[in-house]
Amino acid sequence: MATKPSSAPRGLGRNNEPSVLILTSLASGTKHGYALTKDIEAFAGVTLGPGTLYGAISRLEERGLIEPTGGDERRRPYRITASGLAALTEAVRAMRSLADEGALRLGLGALARVVGADPAPIGWAR
Amino acid sequence: MSGADRFERMIRWYPAGWRARYGDELAALLEDTYGAAPIPLRDRLAMAKAGSVERIRATGLRGETTGQDDRMRAGSLLVLCSWTLFVVAGALFAKFSEHWDAATPLQDRRLPMDGYQAVQWAGAAGVVIVLVAVGVAVPAFIRLVRRGEWSTVRRPVLAAVMMGVVVAAATTGIVEWSHHLGPNDRTRALPGFRVVALTWGVVVVAALATATVGAVSVARRLELSRRSLRVLAAMAVTLTALMAAILVGTVTWWVVVALDAPQFLGSGAWSTSNVLPPPLLVAGGLMVIGLGAAIVGTACVAGAARTVNQSAP
Repeated sequence: MATKPSSAPRGLGRNNEPSVLILTSLASGTKHGYALTKDIEAFAGVTLGPGTLYGAISRLEERGLIEPTGGDERRRPYRITASGLAALTEAVRAMRSLADEGALRLGLGALARVVGADPAPIGWAR
Repeated sequence: MSGADRFERMIRWYPAGWRARYGDELAALLEDTYGAAPIPLRDRLAMAKAGSVERIRATGLRGETTGQDDRMRAGSLLVLCSWTLFVVAGALFAKFSEHWDAATPLQDRRLPMDGYQAVQWAGAAGVVIVLVAVGVAVPAFIRLVRRGEWSTVRRPVLAAVMMGVVVAAATTGIVEWSHHLGPNDRTRALPGFRVVALTWGVVVVAALATATVGAVSVARRLELSRRSLRVLAAMAVTLTALMAAILVGTVTWWVVVALDAPQFLGSGAWSTSNVLPPPLLVAGGLMVIGLGAAIVGTACVAGAARTVNQSAP
């Protein structure tokens, strides 16, 4: 059997973790806090509370995966860095690998592609 | 209260450094999210939890970007704070257990005496360890002052010194007064003395807390070599073991005296129960909380030491 990654890249965690959601949102362009919340709600069905969001933003910035851009000091937009893109790419590969394995074991090979296009809401506790 | 004030209040629990960087942005996000609407209790609690997480990260006990040296230092400081709880608990225990042997039948004294002496010896050893740790840190403190960073620690250090002076003066006063009183005046007949003694106890606890805050503020800014940090970490681990010994000794003494001389536990002025007197409950509670925190600190120290050993060439 092919060796599969045992977990997502260090620190990013599971696919519904705030850091993965934030990086995914920023992959399509810069956003400030409120815009991030709304975007994540729209694509993942997950509502990140303000405390959770800014806790994750501060850690991502510490690790150099995102960075603030100029503009309004109170509604400061963030963008993903090259390291952030690399980390997100790794995380997405790991998730895809897991999803493929799950679909294979469930015999959902054909269905997996359809399911993959319509992510179900994951439900994030604030 | 204006809308902005309400959001500012919500983020006040976050550590100052974090607020300076993200406070305005978080307040703006709260404003955009809730506007003039009431903030649900669940969301308030979530913010309090997030603020607590940031506080713990600020101590260095958690956080993936915290260096191993900082983690070792944070763990050791948590053990020091736990020791302060044990000092308070130990003082309560010592006061409560005065003359216990006179109330206990001779043939039943051996086991509680073992427990009592374990508390005394472990307490004395803990004091020695803390004093040696202070000695290890003194050269780094002198370097900090020479670097011109005295202003960064002046406030907590002066507060600790002032509280020390207040305790010394209060202790002198209360000792002088008690010399003029008979034993009955001190224990029963003079309620004023009891109030003063209780106030003195509160002042001593406040002084201990201030001294601990001062020590932590200074220790977080000291430039310590890895060797010094390892020595201090080893002392912290030993201190945790001594705290465990103190707790075991106290519980042993308590259980045996409750079985063989319950009238002693129920005889104090504050006691209402023969086996669960309030002063011992408070002391025991402080010890359990202190030992729990010390174990967390020790785990932090041990984890950091293990990581350092693994990454060493």
